[in-house]
Amino acid sequence: MSDREKERWVGKRYKRKEDLRLLVGRGKFVDDIKLPNTKHAAIIRSPYPHAWIKAIDTSEAEKLPGVRGVLTGRDVAEMSSPFAVGVPIPPKYYSCAVDKVRFVGEPVAVVVADTRYIAEDALDLIKVDYELLPVVMDIEEAAEPGSPVLHENIGSNIYSHRVMKYGDPDRAFKEADLVVRGKFHFPKYGSTPIETYAVIASYNPFSEEFVVYNNYQGPFVNHSIVALALGVPENKMRWIVPADIGGGFGTKTGMYPYIALISLAAKKTGMTVKWIEDRREHLLASASGTDRVTYMEAALKKDGAILALKDKAMDNTGGYIRPPEPGCAYRSTGNHTGAYNIANLDREIMVVATNKSLTAPNRGYTCQELYFSVERLVDMAAAALDMDPAEIRFKNFIQADQFPFTTATGGIYDSGNYQKAFQMALDTIDYKKWRAEQLKAREQGRYIGIGMATIVDPSVTNISYVTVALPPELRARSHPKSGSGESVTIKMDPLGKVHVIACTNPQGQGHDTVISQIVADELDIHPEDVTISDIVDTHDRIYTITTGSYSSRFASVGVNAVVDATRKLKQKILQIGAKLLAVDPGEVELKGGKIRVKASPERTIAVKHVAGTAHWNQSALPEGMDAGLFASTLLSMPTSQPPDEQDRVDSSNTYGFCCEAIVLEIDPDTCEIKFHKWASVHDSGVILNPMIVEGQVMGSIAHGLGGSLLEEFAYDENGQCLTASFQDYLCPTAMDVPDIDIGHVQTPSPYTALGSKGAGEASCESVPAALGNAIADALAPLGVTINELPLTPNKIWHLVQEAKAKKEQAGHEA
Amino acid sequence: MRLEGKYKFDASQERVWEVLTNPRHLEKAIPGCERLQESEPNKYDALLKVGIAAVKGTFTGKFEVADPDPPQQYRLVGEGSGSSGFVKGEATIHLTAANEQTLVDYHGEMQIGGLIAGVGQRMLGGIAKMMLNQFFKRMGNELKSSK
Amino acid sequence: MKPCAFEYLAPGSVPEVMDLLQQYGDQAKILAGGQSLVPIMNFRLARPEVLIDINGLKELAYIREEADELVIGALTRERELELAPLVRLKCPLLPEAISHIGHPTIRNRGTIGGSLAHGDPSAEIPIAIYALDGTIRTLGPDGESAFKPEEFFLTYLTTCLEPSQIVMEVTVPVLPDGTGWSFVELSRRSGDFAIVAVATVLFMDDNGACTEARICMGGVASTPVRAKAAEDILSGQILSDALVAEAGRLAVEATDPESDYHASADYRRAMTEILVRKALRRAWEKTRGGK
Repeated sequence: MSDREKERWVGKRYKRKEDLRLLVGRGKFVDDIKLPNTKHAAIIRSPYPHAWIKAIDTSEAEKLPGVRGVLTGRDVAEMSSPFAVGVPIPPKYYSCAVDKVRFVGEPVAVVVADTRYIAEDALDLIKVDYELLPVVMDIEEAAEPGSPVLHENIGSNIYSHRVMKYGDPDRAFKEADLVVRGKFHFPKYGSTPIETYAVIASYNPFSEEFVVYNNYQGPFVNHSIVALALGVPENKMRWIVPADIGGGFGTKTGMYPYIALISLAAKKTGMTVKWIEDRREHLLASASGTDRVTYMEAALKKDGAILALKDKAMDNTGGYIRPPEPGCAYRSTGNHTGAYNIANLDREIMVVATNKSLTAPNRGYTCQELYFSVERLVDMAAAALDMDPAEIRFKNFIQADQFPFTTATGGIYDSGNYQKAFQMALDTIDYKKWRAEQLKAREQGRYIGIGMATIVDPSVTNISYVTVALPPELRARSHPKSGSGESVTIKMDPLGKVHVIACTNPQGQGHDTVISQIVADELDIHPEDVTISDIVDTHDRIYTITTGSYSSRFASVGVNAVVDATRKLKQKILQIGAKLLAVDPGEVELKGGKIRVKASPERTIAVKHVAGTAHWNQSALPEGMDAGLFASTLLSMPTSQPPDEQDRVDSSNTYGFCCEAIVLEIDPDTCEIKFHKWASVHDSGVILNPMIVEGQVMGSIAHGLGGSLLEEFAYDENGQCLTASFQDYLCPTAMDVPDIDIGHVQTPSPYTALGSKGAGEASCESVPAALGNAIADALAPLGVTINELPLTPNKIWHLVQEAKAKKEQAGHEA
Repeated sequence: MRLEGKYKFDASQERVWEVLTNPRHLEKAIPGCERLQESEPNKYDALLKVGIAAVKGTFTGKFEVADPDPPQQYRLVGEGSGSSGFVKGEATIHLTAANEQTLVDYHGEMQIGGLIAGVGQRMLGGIAKMMLNQFFKRMGNELKSSK
Repeated sequence: MKPCAFEYLAPGSVPEVMDLLQQYGDQAKILAGGQSLVPIMNFRLARPEVLIDINGLKELAYIREEADELVIGALTRERELELAPLVRLKCPLLPEAISHIGHPTIRNRGTIGGSLAHGDPSAEIPIAIYALDGTIRTLGPDGESAFKPEEFFLTYLTTCLEPSQIVMEVTVPVLPDGTGWSFVELSRRSGDFAIVAVATVLFMDDNGACTEARICMGGVASTPVRAKAAEDILSGQILSDALVAEAGRLAVEATDPESDYHASADYRRAMTEILVRKALRRAWEKTRGGK
């Protein structure tokens, strides 16, 4: 066998093909696209969180030289309908405020001018007359009757409300030896992609077609939603996403209202309109994760077995709710019990309106909120039972021989070995040693904390989960939904070179590199020889409603599609080769650029020759075979089914595992945090490219750390956003992320062609929980309650002062 | 943000009341106020050019001398907005005679919003307090010069 | 956001700058490092009609030693001061303070004159210059003036500079051998604005007693402030842990901090005491030969 024949590419640290063009400035981002006669848009935004718009006077702005037109909410209401959304009474959400503003930063009008500078000059000339309304910022307050109502047509601030029971939770709570309770607050933060939203829209009034370049994470569901809102058929609204996006992280799934808005600005003015969101706009009014209040109770036996969970979770989607929300409450249905074998659940779910900015999936989507509560509660239960927090987790884990495992809520966990991964994390930090260190440190008045979190990371979303927002009776009356599809075409040219046409919507994850590795393995060629066009184009690409890059789906369904298409192509090549060699297809194999007869390997025919025949001499092809040499696939994950009548649904189709073990120390004076040791162990199935996965893991750790200690979209009690610049919205820098020991366990998924699963979001979901646990553990001697984030030094200091004061008072009263 | 404080003036309570509620003096004392024009009794339209160093903005707004209870108490209500943001506030101002001086104490609320709140929250509290001090200091000057 | 339109002028000499400032008054802003000015212009919070770029006036960037003083031109870049061997040797508090300003890329452009003229109460250079009892020399239509920091810094972002004046030069006394010094800062992340920052200088006599103590704090009032009461209990004393602790406590009384989103006034007060103690201990260590 030649060296070439021995080479396998999947699993290797193959250098990313994307990097060179990005590093030398030859990336192709939306802002690089130069169309003739492009004008520029600027958006005037509400400075008030809740107000009627009494009047808008744009006359002065329209007179400014260089201004080409102005679009107001009135125009938008005439030219479009509100966006559809999967809740019983949808709010009237347009891409621009019409008669009322409901959060600071909401668009109120758009100016189109020759330059962005002039457009912003014109914003200063627009006079808006507001009538202020009372404001509601607190989630629980908003849910109470009597609080200021944002949407008159709904009549309350509750967008979605469901109760769901699984198993027999009432009995479980009766049989419990112990019930632990907690109330948890999860903050509002986002992912701040380095590239902000970007749209270049034009409208052809003759063909009545929109053409819009943008950096959306789809087409996904929202191309259809926007077409519906703009009153055009989907084939008259062409969206093109270029080869490079500077990060999506879910934040860009929320940009489609701006696509609609700029498209309407283009239609009204007759111009090609470009809008590049600036950072202030992004922090004020793009998309964040939801903040959430959770009441959670766990019923336990005294040996630590968790019998049931009961929780009430209240998510805040802000001034409006838009798809894919209320996914914030329902997307994690299948993995609600995380890594534990818990058969009984009692759930109440609310999705609520407040005068905050809007939401979209944020890297980890719903799981960081969920696991913060679950994992804190598990630690609290361990403390109540005087059990080691690691021990209680081992006690409750799903066993390695139970996979595929169906959870109480219908999730089908494909593979895993939680014990092995968690033990690896504990061994890596030398858990026993640090517990001993902790005891010593406490005697010295130092606060060392050890925190852990063990979670299940869902990837590749099954679109059916959105219908769980409807109770079964209503669901039965509407069309069922299911699926998570991806499409790939691969073709071979007359000289035998391969080109892949995909629509996997890469945002920097390195899809092209991994596709090259996979194709190279399947066809026994070199990844360098594979070329790829992986852009979204709703005209020129085959795709389906779930197509896009979100919920880390490329490694599952994306890879499945690549493998399927490539194997189909390979089959064709083998069949043509077999015919040319006058043998049966079963008798040949593809090796090193040649088709050869297995029984007599000296009988070969070059792949080049097969390709040439397919293109030049089509009459020589096997009976019934298509001309040319290509293969296409559009497939969905096999376990994507609609929910059943008991609200059970496999909301995602592959499930990884992730655990963190963190040792930190809190300075008793300043309450700053210093890290001693941090192990992060991941099981994302078979690893396709370890270098890419490492990058993803580090990134998700940084994101998780950011949300736990630094980042927050903060509002004052009057609804003013305080964090509209990077001075105050603090992203972690290289100085803030400690050294991390990353480990891997690989339990192949039976549902993916190569056994791989998503890897990019896991630590976003586990780190907030682990850090919360570590800080709680550090401050346990002081009796501090940790149930919220971010845990800044200022916040920790105040919690410590309160705890000390309480103790003193208790001491006085004793 | 909450506002509260005390100030002492070397004048009789009647004199202080007169100066604190008279638009001629309010116009001079409110920081950045260029013009105060009566629209209704005790209600005024205002043009303000406020700034700290390079950060300057023009605000149009309204002031009201509300619930006057001479010479003890009134509420000063104001709001102004411009492209850098808006300010809204109200304070209950209470006067007490103390020999030949007058003690003024005030408590109230101020809201700052818009662009400056989003990108400048770090200094807003301090700057608001500083401007209040400026207001009372200038009122002191008004008392001296209007003998 | 994009700035408003402005006229851009790049004069070639100091007299030209003076003429332009006289001509345009408060319609003009000086562009030196631009690290504070340009962001607020981009936010449209500052809308100068005229920008006078003085980066071409290389004669305003220099570092010299003259008669026990370091004489520093206003246009000297922060990064240069941070790395200059002369400054690190003769006045090491200054480079230490400067190393906390943002990140190296910011310090490559920021200037000492610009930082002083900007007057941010959390900024490191004003705190250090005040602790060092430096002198700020300005030039205006009426000629040269000199200000001590306590006269120069008036309130938030406000100095005694008139629109027609610029900072020309800063002088700081060279620190005698054996002098203790330190700069300590608490911020959310490395490079962020100080929540509390403390600079200390301890002058010692040959018997190991402190002859004069200086404690300057930032982030706790509308300007950098000196903790006079704390300084007084140390001056003329042999230092002790008890004195240092007391000085920390007294320093809080000189503060008047505000709460903001990142830190409450209570936290700032508590951190003042902790940082002053820490800074004094470090400075004290230095007097005993520590690094």
